[in-house]
Parts: sequence; structure tokens; C-alpha cells
Amino acid sequence: MVESPIKNSSALDDWCERLLHSLEAPSGPMAACQAQSRNQLETLSAPHRRQEAWRFCDLAPIAELEPRQIRSLGEPSAPSVSDQVTRLVLGTGQDPFAGVTLPKGLSPLSDAELKHSLGQTFNLATSKGQWPVALNQAIASQVIGLRVRGTVDNPLELVCDAGADRGVFAVRVLLLLEEKAKLELLQVQLSSGANLTSVLVEAHLQSEAKLRHGLLAFGHPQAALLAHLDVEQEPSSDVSLVSVCQGWGVIRHEPQLIQLNGGAKSQLRALQLVQANQLADTHSCVRFNGPEGTLDQLHKAVAAGHGRSVFNGVVQVPREAQRTDAAQLSRSLLLSDRARIDTKPELEIVADDVKCAHGATVSRLQPEALFYLQSRGISPDQAAQLLLRAFCDEVICMLPSTAGAWRPLARLLDGV
Amino acid sequence: MISLDAPVLIEIRDLCACVDDQPILNGVNLTIRAGEIHALMGRNGSGKSTLSKVLAGHPAYKVTEGSVLYRGEDLLPLEPDERSRIGLFLGFQYPVEIPGVSNLEFLRVSTNARRLEQGLEELDTFAFEDFVRERLGLVQMDPAFLDRSVNEGFSGGEKKRNEILQMALLEPLVAILDETDSGLDIDALRIVSGGVNQLANVDNATLLITHYQRLLDLIKPDYVHVMAAGRIVRSGDKALALELEQRGYEWVDRELDALEMT
Amino acid sequence: MTSQSHVGQLVSQPYKYGFVTEIETEKIPKGLDEDVVRLISEKKNEPQFLLDFRIRAYRHWLKLQAPDWAGLGYPPIDYQDIVYYAAPKQKEKKNSLDEVDPTLLETFDKLGIPLSEQKRLSNVAVDAVFDSVSIATTYKEKLAEHGVVFCSITDAVNEYPELVRRYLGTVVPSNDNYFAALNSAVFSDGSFVFIPRGVECPMELSSYFRINSGDIGQFERTLIVAEEGASVSYLEGCTAPMFDTNTLHAAVVELVALDDASIKYSTVQNWYAGDENGVGGIYNFVTKRGHCCGERSKISWSQVETGSAITWKYPSCILQGADSVGEFYSVALTNHRQQADTGTKMIHLGPRTRSTIVSKGISAGHSANSYRGLVQMGPKAVNAKNYSQCDSMLIGDQAGANTYPYIRSQQPDASIEHEASTCRISEDQLFYLQSRGIDFEAAISMIVSGFCRDVFSQLPMEFAAEADKLLALKLEGSVG
Repeated sequence: MVESPIKNSSALDDWCERLLHSLEAPSGPMAACQAQSRNQLETLSAPHRRQEAWRFCDLAPIAELEPRQIRSLGEPSAPSVSDQVTRLVLGTGQDPFAGVTLPKGLSPLSDAELKHSLGQTFNLATSKGQWPVALNQAIASQVIGLRVRGTVDNPLELVCDAGADRGVFAVRVLLLLEEKAKLELLQVQLSSGANLTSVLVEAHLQSEAKLRHGLLAFGHPQAALLAHLDVEQEPSSDVSLVSVCQGWGVIRHEPQLIQLNGGAKSQLRALQLVQANQLADTHSCVRFNGPEGTLDQLHKAVAAGHGRSVFNGVVQVPREAQRTDAAQLSRSLLLSDRARIDTKPELEIVADDVKCAHGATVSRLQPEALFYLQSRGISPDQAAQLLLRAFCDEVICMLPSTAGAWRPLARLLDGV
Repeated sequence: MISLDAPVLIEIRDLCACVDDQPILNGVNLTIRAGEIHALMGRNGSGKSTLSKVLAGHPAYKVTEGSVLYRGEDLLPLEPDERSRIGLFLGFQYPVEIPGVSNLEFLRVSTNARRLEQGLEELDTFAFEDFVRERLGLVQMDPAFLDRSVNEGFSGGEKKRNEILQMALLEPLVAILDETDSGLDIDALRIVSGGVNQLANVDNATLLITHYQRLLDLIKPDYVHVMAAGRIVRSGDKALALELEQRGYEWVDRELDALEMT
Repeated sequence: MTSQSHVGQLVSQPYKYGFVTEIETEKIPKGLDEDVVRLISEKKNEPQFLLDFRIRAYRHWLKLQAPDWAGLGYPPIDYQDIVYYAAPKQKEKKNSLDEVDPTLLETFDKLGIPLSEQKRLSNVAVDAVFDSVSIATTYKEKLAEHGVVFCSITDAVNEYPELVRRYLGTVVPSNDNYFAALNSAVFSDGSFVFIPRGVECPMELSSYFRINSGDIGQFERTLIVAEEGASVSYLEGCTAPMFDTNTLHAAVVELVALDDASIKYSTVQNWYAGDENGVGGIYNFVTKRGHCCGERSKISWSQVETGSAITWKYPSCILQGADSVGEFYSVALTNHRQQADTGTKMIHLGPRTRSTIVSKGISAGHSANSYRGLVQMGPKAVNAKNYSQCDSMLIGDQAGANTYPYIRSQQPDASIEHEASTCRISEDQLFYLQSRGIDFEAAISMIVSGFCRDVFSQLPMEFAAEADKLLALKLEGSVG
């Protein structure tokens, strides 16, 4: 849909304007990028329900939040970290690298490198001009920029806890994985109050590089999360993006992958759970710009209470992407008659020698499976719990190994 | 093993049941005492599987008339899990696949549910592993099965062996085995029936639902019943099964017609 | 029907139906305004309620914009450059077929739809529509003996105004969408079917739509009502001459099924598709919808879409009655520069409603073929079930196949299952068939027809064989 040049004036637009006014003048290495994005936001309408991509995703609750930037956060409530894991804590006002010995193979990007590389991915991945991206770029004054060379033995953990602070906090990450580099990264986003966390992750993988990225996001009914991930893959690289989200009032999750010349391996796993009046919306897009790429995508949703779960998964296979092998599956559990599921897997194919398939199911827990468990003496509640855990575990078990310390399954099913 | 003073485990009286308002059972009468092995035979659609589902409490089947007493108590108000915990076991004809639920965890939860009911101590993970490994031998199952999801990707024979393994763990008083022999090759059939024979004792009873004599060569029934049109039309000893094997079911139809006349 | 010979004639040329019938035609001037709407209504001698219906629709249409969500590529249509009413000049009233202009009878003969007493099909009643008007309906009397009404909608308006008034616009309201609103304002003819309570229609009913004039728009309207326990099978065929301009065809079809009624609606759509460079062809923008308002009612759509430059159609079912059933079986083949955006909507409102969707898209040449479908489970659709299967076959690396299933559920006790896959004709399959002595083209058509089997098996006998051949014909030269 063509954006109208005249800006509509929704509550969210007003909110955005007030937020922009409250910001300090652009400064530091990100100044140019901030200024440019702020200008862009002056004319870019905030998402509204008349746009196809936002039809089921009402961001109005964000307009209820305080339109101010949170400058620094408190210490996160996090489990203690083992020696094998390198943890960077974001947003505390301190340099996240201070006092941390980065494992061999990881090095922070210099300001010059950052300037050169930032935003490159978005231009390619059609994310340019997207409001959540512009919003993040307008605010973020710091970027976790990392170059990855060779195999990084220790997994990395990025932790950001917005706590109960009121306002908006932006997290921006840039990863450059050189040829044959390997990294395992768990990104944890927490919130326990009325705030918006804006996450922007860019990753570029050179050939034979391998990235395992996990996003563990546990929020609060008054909290919102806008998470946008852009990943560029060169041939023979291997990416796994796994996300597990629960508890946010509103969450919009936008993983976008592009295989620059095909030939790469992409895996997407997502699990979102909504209850009460929560909304979780995942819009994924995977594009193959060359032959022989593979995609293995599984999106799972659990909707309870008055919750609403949305999934839109686009897979684009243009003519140059011959011999692509892409499989996408969307499985949703509807646990309450007041909850809603909207799911739309999309295939766009212009290449004849490809294997592309998608599937989608929406149902409640299978009555036959429940009966079988019950006939073995397991109570209905326990049987439902077992099945629900099994349903969720298929995604959770794919998270980077360090996720276990955060007890994702227990947190996820808390209160369901 | 027939002993007329043995306690009655299950007593079915004039049981009628339907699915989607379609009557399937039309007055079943059957009494099973401890120590007995019963075989229930009959054509497809005669109501055998329905009887097993009704006894196990499947929600799709509605009892419209009659009663079922289990050790003198009304069985019908009980939930399926309650029935299992007090010792009623159904070996499914088509065990459902439950992706993602680990077989081992499932077996441990259900075994402990039964043990609690029996006033026994729950088994912790380690004790249970020992227990299950011991019982695995009974059905000659590879321990690797335990790490897989419940029935997922199992062959027909593996699924049936998994059912018998569960029976061995739960130690039911009444085991109903719904066409446990179908889809088994001769070796698997020997393993499965060997398991059933080893588990049978003077305190429990088994109801075998089958089409074929070959299972009854391996598990010797004390009683054989023939079902048709939703009721038991003839009962006898194992000679009846042989007669059926030789003469087919047509004479059953004739008897049924005669029954209708009266 | 002698479909074998009928199709046999076709094989030698790509579009056999491309001829123009030389016949004197009465046309109103090009252009559209409220006066044109009134003029059409006047020409058809319509009662006031229908004129009001048209005017309301027209005024609403003025406020609407053409939908762009399907992403179809075509230049804006100039609605003032279209003739909205064209009728072959003939005697006012055609009491019997003998009075129909022989040129018209010949035309339909040539199309394989003989209308005259001697030659007509023995088991199919036909309503023949030429440009804006119905010229003949066969077997009217025989059907009347069973209480079945089968006539043009124009005749129905005059003879059964109450029935038309009760049902017209109830399934597709005049403000439903851009093209439905346009149709509601200017529709000229179409078929009307009414099957009374308890009657099983004794023969297949069929409408044949023929566009002859190059500058007209065809806006037909079909209404089928099956009362309690009634059943009917209805077939629809369509062709047009080859012009190098585009012709607009914006039809509306409404089906109503009361308790225990069953309607089967089959289409073989073979409008002129334009040439291989995409010049000319029909814009086929159609709204088809059935309302299963009765309990245990059933509406089944089968379609074989091979023609048209652009197809935009989503035959749908509103499953309101408890235990009602909706089905959609579709084969859509696009070649050259054709664009098709087609699918269905299954709106489950009532408890235990069931729907099945089987869609087979075949894309060849530079064409674009999209499945777009909605399956929706409303809050009361307890224990409702849907199963959808959408398969695409790609021929050549220039054609596009897209799948856009919209799945929405508000009912935990409803289940939805959707599967989609893509394939192509594999070298192995071709080699295997060829090594058994089957020639290349025959092998292709065998594989394609196997791909479509689940849909063809749903078509009435007369159509199934024809559809098969039609595909083979359309694909000629697109492989290898």
C-alpha cells in the first residue's frame, strides 16, 4: 500500500510527536542516523489498522505509555551467570563492555565501522521506511556492535530489563559474522511495567558463518515490545532464529531474512503465548535471492483468555531461486472461546524447480490425545498441561543452550 | 483359570450405548471374575470396540441404559483417569501419537497416579527408570523407545508393545485389549501374548477383543463370547472360537435372527 | 453431451470460440450515469423495487474505489467507454425457439450448445445468454412439471417478482464490493433457478454466456434458490470472441440453500484470455457466494478456470445452518500473460459446519496464479471443521504461483487444517511415461490431469472430460 504523504493524526502519531520533542538533540556516533530517522518519523504515519500488515495489530496501547525516553535502566533480575557464558547487560547507563572480557573471536565494532555498516541490511531487506525501525533508529544512542571472527566458544548473552520504568527504551544490535565465524547469542528482553521496548537487530553473515540467535522476551500486561530482526545471509551460511515471547500487552515481532545469493540455511522457530487481553503478532519474511537455499520455519501460538495471536509468514522465491527448499508450518492452539487466532502463511513463487510447502492448523488440544492420557490415570488438568508443555517444548528446546537458566518453560506457562 | 468363588471384578448389565445418537450397544451382559481370561469375538461393527471404549469412559460414547459395576461399585460416573487409577486398563487398537510428550515422562506420571491410588509410594525419576527397564524386558522393547515421544513414529508392532508395557507398569485388575493382535507379525504377536500371559494371575482378569483364533492359540481364554448387533449372542468355552473359525459368522446371524423373533 | 467430438474440434487451434457473430445489435450509447441505469431498467420493464435496488447500488458504487489488494496489473478501466446494454435485434417476445433468430441458433450450435428441439442435449436444460440478454431457455415446460423454475432473470422479474424480491441481494448485498455494486446497478440478464421444497431437479441445468460485441460489458446476475430438501446441479460455461481490447465481465451469482437443500455449481470458464503478449482478453471480476442458511444444507462449488486475461473471483459459502457443508474444488490454469487471483471464503457461523477446499493452480508462460482464501470460524462454530489443500504446479521459470490463505478462528472447538505445496512436472515422471510409449504432449497432459484429478472428479460427467481436454489444449507448446 502506498503511504499517504499527508500524515494521519492518530493518537499514536501524537504520541510519537511528543516523544520526538522530548528527545535530547542527536549526539555521539549515532547522531546522523538519529537525525535522519527523526526527520523520517515527522512524515511517516504510525501503523494503523487500515494497512494490511497491521490489520490485526492495534498499537493503540503504546499511545497510553509515557512519551519519553528511558535513559538508563536498573540492574536486571537475572539468574547468576556461569563462567561459560559472557553476559552483557544493556541500558544501565554503564558501558556494557566495561569489566567484561569478551571471548576470543568477539570484538566491538569501532565507531567508523558502525557508521559504515549500520542500516545497510535494512536497505536490502525492504525494512526501510518501516515505522518500528525508524522509531528505534530515532531513539537509540548506543549500538552493541560486534565483529565475530572464527568460532566463539562461549555463548553470549544480552540482557535488558526495562523494569517498571515508564517510557521507551531502545536496544540496537549489529552483528558482523565473518567467513566461517560461529556465534551463539541469547537476547533476553524483560519488562515489568508500563513501557515500550524497541529492539532492532541486524546481522550479516558471510559465507559459512553460523549464527544461533535466541530471543527470550517476558513482559508485563502494560508493556509493549517491538522487535525487528534483519538478517542477511551469504551462501553456505547458517542461521537459526528462535523466539519465545510471553506476557506483553502488545508484541510485534518482525524477523526478516534474506539469502543474498541463495545457498544458505535458515531456520525460524517462534512461540508466542497470549492470555488476558494480550496481543502477539509475528510478521516474518524470508526472501531467497539465489538458488538452493533452504528454510525450515515453525511458528507456534497459544491463545488463552481474551488473547489474540497473529501470524503472517511470507516466503518469497523469485525466479533466480531455483532449487529452493522451503517449509513453513504454523500451528496454533486456541484454548478459550474468547481468544482469537489469525494466521496467514504466504508463498510467492516464480521458479519451477523448487520444493515449497506450508501448512497451518488451528485447534484446541487434541481430544484423542487427552483421552489416551486420561485412560492411563492422568487427570484432565495434568494431561492438558503435559500436552501444552509438549507443544511449547518443540520451540523452547531449540533456544541457545544458555536459555535453560532462565527457566523458559516455567515462565511461559506461568498462569495459564 | 475359573473359580466360581473368585470375586467379581466387573459386571455389565443390559448395557446400551450410542455414538452421535446412533445406538451401537443394545443390551450387553457380561460378568468377569478375578483370574479369568475372556475373549470377545465378532464381526466388524458388532460393537466390540465400542464396548471397550464405553468401559474406559470415552466421552464420545453415551450410555443410554444399563449398568456397569466394577468390584461392586458403579463404574459409569467415573472419569477415564479415575477408572485407570482403580485398575481398569484399555489397550487401544489404534494408540494415538502424541508428539512432543516424552514416553518416559508419560509412563512415569501414569504409573505414579496408579501407585498413589494403591497407597504405594511414588517412584522418583531414578527408581522409575529401574522399574521401567525391568518391565521393558517383558515386551522385549529397546530402552531407546523411552526417549521418543508417545507412540510417535512407532511401527504398528511397536505401538502395541508400548501398550503392553503400560499394562505391565500399571498392573491393572481388568485389562481390556482391543485387537492387540491386529497388524502384528508372528514374532510380535508372540512377544505381546507372552507379555499378557505373564501378567495374568489369580487376582486380575483380561478381556481380549479379537477376530482371530491365532491369538487364542497363544493366550488361552476361559470363556469366549460372540458379539453381534450390539449384544453378546453366544458364550462358551474355547471350543466356540474354533467353531467360529471353521464355520464363520453366518450361523451367528441366524441365531441373531432367531433371537429377534422371540 | 458429445464432449469428445466437441473438444476434438478444438485441438487444432488455441481459441476456437474467437469468432464474431454478424448480427444486428441494439446498443445503448457508451457511458454510465444514473440515466443509463434507469434506461436499462426501463428496457426490461422492471418493477419499482428493482429500479430502486439499482439506483441504490449505483450511488453506492460512485463512492467506492476499485480494490487493489490482489495486486493485479491492469490499466484503470474507463467505465465511460463501455456499452452497458447490447441485445441482438429480434422479435420482442420469443415464445418458442422457432422464433429465435437462426443466426443466434447457429452461433450456439458452433459453440457446441445446440438449442433447437432436434439437436439439443437430452439431459441438460440450457439458458443461453448473448451479450446482455437471454435468448432462449430449453426444457422450460418439462421442468415446470416438477415445479422447477428455470428462466432468465429478466423473465423471473416479471413472472416471479416476489421470489426475486425475497432473495435478490440477500447473499451478495448491492454494496458488497466494487464490482458487485456495479453489477447490481447495471446487470442485464442471467439465470434464475428455483427448486421448490422436496424436489430433486430432474436434469442438469446450464447457462451459457456468450459475449459477442467488443465494446460491451457483460453484467450477468444469477440467482439459485433451493427450498427445504431440494437439490440441483447447475453448470455454467462462457466464451467470447478475440478482440484486442479488454472486455469487462462483472457477474454476481447468489445461491440460497434452505434446510437439507443441496446446490452444486460447476463452472468451466473459457473466456478469451488475450494473445500471448497479453493483448486483449476478458477481465473476469466475479462475485459468487452461497448462503447455507438451512440446517444440513450443502453448497458445492467446482470451477475450472482456464480463460480470461484477469480472473478475480472467490466463490464462497456462508455456513450458517447447523451441520451445513461447503465445498470448493478449483483448477485454475494460467498461461502467457494471464493473471488469476482466485480462491474461496468459508465463513463458518453455525455449529458442526464443515468445509473442504481443494485448489489446484497451474502456472505457465509469464502468468501469475494466486490462491487467496479465507477460512473463518465464528464464535458459535462449535465442532466445525475445515480442511484445505492448495497445490501449485509451475511450468517454466517465468510463471508465478502464490498462496495466501487467511485463517481466523474464534472457536476453540473448531479445527482448521491447511496444507499447500508446489511441484513441477519432473523429468523422471516424463521419462517414465515416455519410456512406456506415451508421447511428450500426452505425457504432460496425463500428469497435469492427474494433478487435477481431485477436482475433475467433482465435475459433472459432461464437463469432466471437456475440462481435461481444455487443459491439454491450453498448455500446448508451453512445456519443453
